[in-house]
Amino acid sequence: MTTPGPPPAQRGPGLRRRVTVAFALGALVLSACLATLTYELARSYLLRQRESTLVSQAYVNARAVRQTLSGPDPDIPDLLSAVETPNLSRALLSYQGRWFGASVAVGQESLPEGLRREVLDGVPARQRFALDGRRQLSVGVPIVSVGAAYFEVFDMEVLASTLRVLGNSLVAGAAITTLLGAAVGRWASGRLMQPLANASQAAAAVAAGRFDVRLDTSPDADLAVLADSFNSMTDALGERIEREARFASSVSHELRSPLTTLSASVEVLQARRHEMGERAQRALDLLRSDLRRFERLVGDLVEISRLDAGAEQLELEVLAVGTLVEQSLQRSMRPNVAVEVRPRARGVEVRADRRRMGRVLANLVENAETHGRGVARVTVDREGWAARIGVEDRGPGVAPEERQRIFERFVRGEEGRHRGEGDGSGLGLSLVSEHVRLHGGRTWVEEAPGGGARFVVELPVARGGPTVP
Amino acid sequence: MSAILVVEDDGRIRASLRLALEEEGHAVDEAGSGEEGLECLVRQAPDIVVLDLMLPGLDGFEVCRRIRRTSDVPVIVVTARSDSHDVVAGLEAGADDYVTKPFVPKELSARIRALLRRSGTRGPSAPRTLSFGDVGIQPDGGVVRKAGEELTLTRTEFRLLCELAAHPGRVLSRERLLEQVWGYDYFGDGRLVDVHIRRLRTKVESDPASPTLIVTVRGLGYKLVP
Repeated sequence: MTTPGPPPAQRGPGLRRRVTVAFALGALVLSACLATLTYELARSYLLRQRESTLVSQAYVNARAVRQTLSGPDPDIPDLLSAVETPNLSRALLSYQGRWFGASVAVGQESLPEGLRREVLDGVPARQRFALDGRRQLSVGVPIVSVGAAYFEVFDMEVLASTLRVLGNSLVAGAAITTLLGAAVGRWASGRLMQPLANASQAAAAVAAGRFDVRLDTSPDADLAVLADSFNSMTDALGERIEREARFASSVSHELRSPLTTLSASVEVLQARRHEMGERAQRALDLLRSDLRRFERLVGDLVEISRLDAGAEQLELEVLAVGTLVEQSLQRSMRPNVAVEVRPRARGVEVRADRRRMGRVLANLVENAETHGRGVARVTVDREGWAARIGVEDRGPGVAPEERQRIFERFVRGEEGRHRGEGDGSGLGLSLVSEHVRLHGGRTWVEEAPGGGARFVVELPVARGGPTVP
Repeated sequence: MSAILVVEDDGRIRASLRLALEEEGHAVDEAGSGEEGLECLVRQAPDIVVLDLMLPGLDGFEVCRRIRRTSDVPVIVVTARSDSHDVVAGLEAGADDYVTKPFVPKELSARIRALLRRSGTRGPSAPRTLSFGDVGIQPDGGVVRKAGEELTLTRTEFRLLCELAAHPGRVLSRERLLEQVWGYDYFGDGRLVDVHIRRLRTKVESDPASPTLIVTVRGLGYKLVP
């Protein structure tokens, strides 16, 4: 009995996964922002610091150049190579309309036009530019007193590689933070989900009929609400089921007492049967046979209401299925029914309630006798990890469209064609399937090889199943 | 002809049972409550008691326990359901057998006959004492002694012990014990045997929780270890 629901594939990602992803994303955004900010701050600070260092260095050097140029007969290339350039800067000098450079790589044409003009016009300036794809900073100092202009070109790429290392570390840091975020999210959601998982376990236990399960009332106010309402629901449910079971039990008692009186009285009448007239005897026969039917009906009704209430408890034993079937048939006083145990079913054991399985077999045999012209044979077989008990009759079989319905309550083969005959209560087969379901097995009806109906009871094998190669 | 005491609060059931049992040739006394039943027991000394478990006031379990304090008269309890705990509880309170409402009086009288038959003759007739450790059984005298002290066993417990003692070391199945002790030649309830074995153990075993004399052979039955 499954209600059609959405296939699992249509379900969105689980709460836990969503929390984990959210945590990871949060950590990513946060760490990316922090990294960007850190990078920018570090970069501008480093640049500014480097620039001011370079500018002051350029001024110091320019002063030295001016001194030399003020002197007699300055050796300019010598001067330029003597200038201290600790920061890998290259010096350029414009003196009396000529350019001198300390490095071949950097000539006056390397300098940006605007900077050159500005400095030659007597204004100190600096500018960042790119040379051969490398970032450079140029500082120009006009030395007006001697009509010269001193430039220094610094390669800023050294700084760039420092910044690259910093940037890489920050990216790595952000990645680690993201992973940590995901881990924290997973852990936290796991902790968060624990009460939910507990609740779901408890709910499953309740669904399975255990009404004594309780959720721990946690000190956490948020969770306590869940636990409290769950517990009160279970209480209410258990109470209700108990009430129903009590009702079933009182119904049984109330109905059984008058039935006891009736059957005792009818038996006295039966003992005095010879004193009665023929019509009274016929009436007595009718009374007896319907009394038997009434007893059956009450018994079955009480049994099924107890099953509905979930009040039934199995007394499980591990039993050889062949022996179980034979004993059950003997108990229902049908020792003459032929039982065929297939070789592969020999020694197969099931976990079963002896008394209940006795009822199952008795009901099936009775069903065969009432509706199927008697039992043809009873078979015991094994199919993988399932033991199968088949009860075959000599009747016309069950039409395919009836095969499900026949296990419903008060449904008889071919809609009550046999009503009024036999002692059937109309509950026998549904009791069979309910009892078998309690054992974790299933029941169905199929066509027997001889054309009759074969009712099959399948029980999970407890021991002696197929040997694993 | 035997004297049967029917303790049952439902007057109609009492009346119909009296009719049916008298039809079988028994003498029937009726009691409408547990208290009345206990009085009758003293006054009439019946051969057998049929006791409804659901009685107003003093319930059937308590009545059964009180009967057992003074008497080993066979008791058949009447329960409303065969699958309830009532059956086991009733047997544990000291009942010898049970029937489930609604029962056919024929079924009841069959059980009455079986109980009476076995309370008439006691075990195999060889004048001897069987000894197992500190437990001595005299099947004829109906006496069981443990360490020299006489034990009070009900007739059913005694029969059960004798049956086990007659085949020391052999595993006896529940079905066989039911047949031999209760006289059922058809399916009975294995719980009858289980509960009586349990009760028997509390009397003859030194430590009923780990029995050494009457041991369970899982899936097969019980045996008495010589």
